Amino acid sequence: MIDLCHPSRLGSNLSKGFVPSVDNLETLYHANRSINNHAMSQPVIIEHLVKVYTVRQRKGLFRSQKIEVHALNDVSFEVKEGEIFGLLGPNGAGKTTLIKILTTLLLPTAGKVFVNGYDVVKQENQVRSSVGCMLMGERGLYWKLTGRENLEYFAALYHLPPKKRKQRAAQILKLIQLEDIADRTVETYSSGQKMKLAFGKALIQDAPLLVLDEPTNTLDVPSASELRAIVRQLNQQGKTVIYTTHIMAEAEALCQRVAIIDRGELLALGTPDELKASLRSARITHIEGVISAQAEEKVRRLPQVRRTTRSAKNGATLLTVVSDEGYEILPDLIRVLGEHGARIQKIIPEEPTLEDVFIAKTGRTLAEDTRVRS
Amino acid sequence: MTQPSWQSVFSIVLASARMRFLTITRYPGQLVLDTFIPIVFAAMPILLGRAGGGESAAEMFQRNTGTANYVGYLLIGSSVFTIVSFAFWHLAYWLRWEQESGTLEALYLAPVHRIWVAAGTALYSCGRGLFAALTAYFLGALILRFNPLQGELGLALLFILVGFIPLYGMTLLYGAVILKVKEANALVNLMQWGVSFLMGIFFPITIFPPLLKIIALLFPPTWMTNGVRSALLGIGFFLGEWYLDLAVLWGFMLIAPLFGYWVFNHVEINVRRNEGVGQF
Repeated sequence: MIDLCHPSRLGSNLSKGFVPSVDNLETLYHANRSINNHAMSQPVIIEHLVKVYTVRQRKGLFRSQKIEVHALNDVSFEVKEGEIFGLLGPNGAGKTTLIKILTTLLLPTAGKVFVNGYDVVKQENQVRSSVGCMLMGERGLYWKLTGRENLEYFAALYHLPPKKRKQRAAQILKLIQLEDIADRTVETYSSGQKMKLAFGKALIQDAPLLVLDEPTNTLDVPSASELRAIVRQLNQQGKTVIYTTHIMAEAEALCQRVAIIDRGELLALGTPDELKASLRSARITHIEGVISAQAEEKVRRLPQVRRTTRSAKNGATLLTVVSDEGYEILPDLIRVLGEHGARIQKIIPEEPTLEDVFIAKTGRTLAEDTRVRS
Repeated sequence: MTQPSWQSVFSIVLASARMRFLTITRYPGQLVLDTFIPIVFAAMPILLGRAGGGESAAEMFQRNTGTANYVGYLLIGSSVFTIVSFAFWHLAYWLRWEQESGTLEALYLAPVHRIWVAAGTALYSCGRGLFAALTAYFLGALILRFNPLQGELGLALLFILVGFIPLYGMTLLYGAVILKVKEANALVNLMQWGVSFLMGIFFPITIFPPLLKIIALLFPPTWMTNGVRSALLGIGFFLGEWYLDLAVLWGFMLIAPLFGYWVFNHVEINVRRNEGVGQF
């Protein structure tokens, strides 16, 4: 596999600062770095970010009412240089809105956002030059063009001269292993191949910061694994990565730090181990079987129980119980469930996962859609 | 902020135009059909004129328009209309297509002003419109039997080329509306018929009532059409001399793109403050 981001090939070397291979891009990037030192110290700094927008709620065929949606509410955090930072949350949590503000697609309602030292409102072109984005998945491609033509066109938009466009496109196609189909129109690609190409598009300007919005969506297991391996490789070569996902296991395996966001609010921030350690005082027990809502309610009323969630798993019910006790609570759990008609198939006391952290913080599972409310 | 060099910007314009041409080559039949549309469009009133006017059709036409060559008059009208219609369709549909396919956000992620991508699309549209209009004019002349090489072809071409810039300035205004309302088809249909009426594709605008005539004269395509007809058929320039009419088009050339750019930028910021450009 070609080492796309090796400094000798593409000039990316974060220890020396971002050095785009084209004079224009370099000029853009280095221009007006008159931001305060704090803003320049980290790739991403978000301070008290608020995003409110209006949408129309239909009230019949021709009537509608304007309502305000609070997509982000006073969100603040930083992303450190050289880390893979996971942004986690269910669908509708506000992740994509946040990412769109980071990448200048949306303007914030209030607060400050700096990307690579540049203000996303006042220095949008510098921000765009310094961020490689994969936001819309396969939708961000021209389906009537070939994979190679797509990459060459986007390379042009990032001010690469014609010869370098061809070189860069060839390098990326090799990295994402699409060389064999590079000259076929994108419409003939499988969904996974389109996602890979969209990922390749994010690498076109060799930016020091990569923003990947659910990049493994629609990928099969081996392809997702390949893509994660490339992300790790790019990160080891110095790129900072912001990775949004609603798959906790993926975040746990890939990210050095994660932020959990839900309904527009930042609920938790830290390394996966730190977040899990924060649950250490709480113990998690999974119970599989036939368990009614009434039984769950009775379990929730036990004095040692902090919260419970009930979801479906393999045709059975999975009850997750967060409590102050470990094995000590089991007799009470079995008794209460038995009294209320539950048929227990399996009891699994467990070490906490990021999913458990999410449940502990929100009282819901990630599978639930929690679109931000007005 | 340091701006990218003009060379780099020009390269982006060319790359955007090339991308559109590459895309249309995936639909080769479309390019062929483009050339027949103006001929069919002009043939209808020509045949109606022949049926209704009989032997005296040319004479009656000359009385109202200044030329007896009604076939040339109508074919020029429909050919210039093709250019105008293409401008609206290509720019408007480009934006709508990018919105629907999801690539509009990808364009907004690049460190280049959308106006240069739009300029690439305009360049493509100019090329395609000019090719279709010229082919239709010469092919139509062959089919409908009149001499296409009469008059001053160079001057006619100059009116078209100068008219392109204010025309695409107008389409930017239109693009701003589409960016906001996220609908193209009905708007383009309405606009193209309105413009075709005001630019007088099948009749001289001198027959309009005074107020409508003033409105028609505010549209650059009206001056384009009359300039081309006057250069080729000698029907008479609005201000008497070709350079005066051309000066008016130059004036439009300075105002229309700047105004279009200003409105487009304004709408763009408004959209980014609210739901974003990606929603469709």
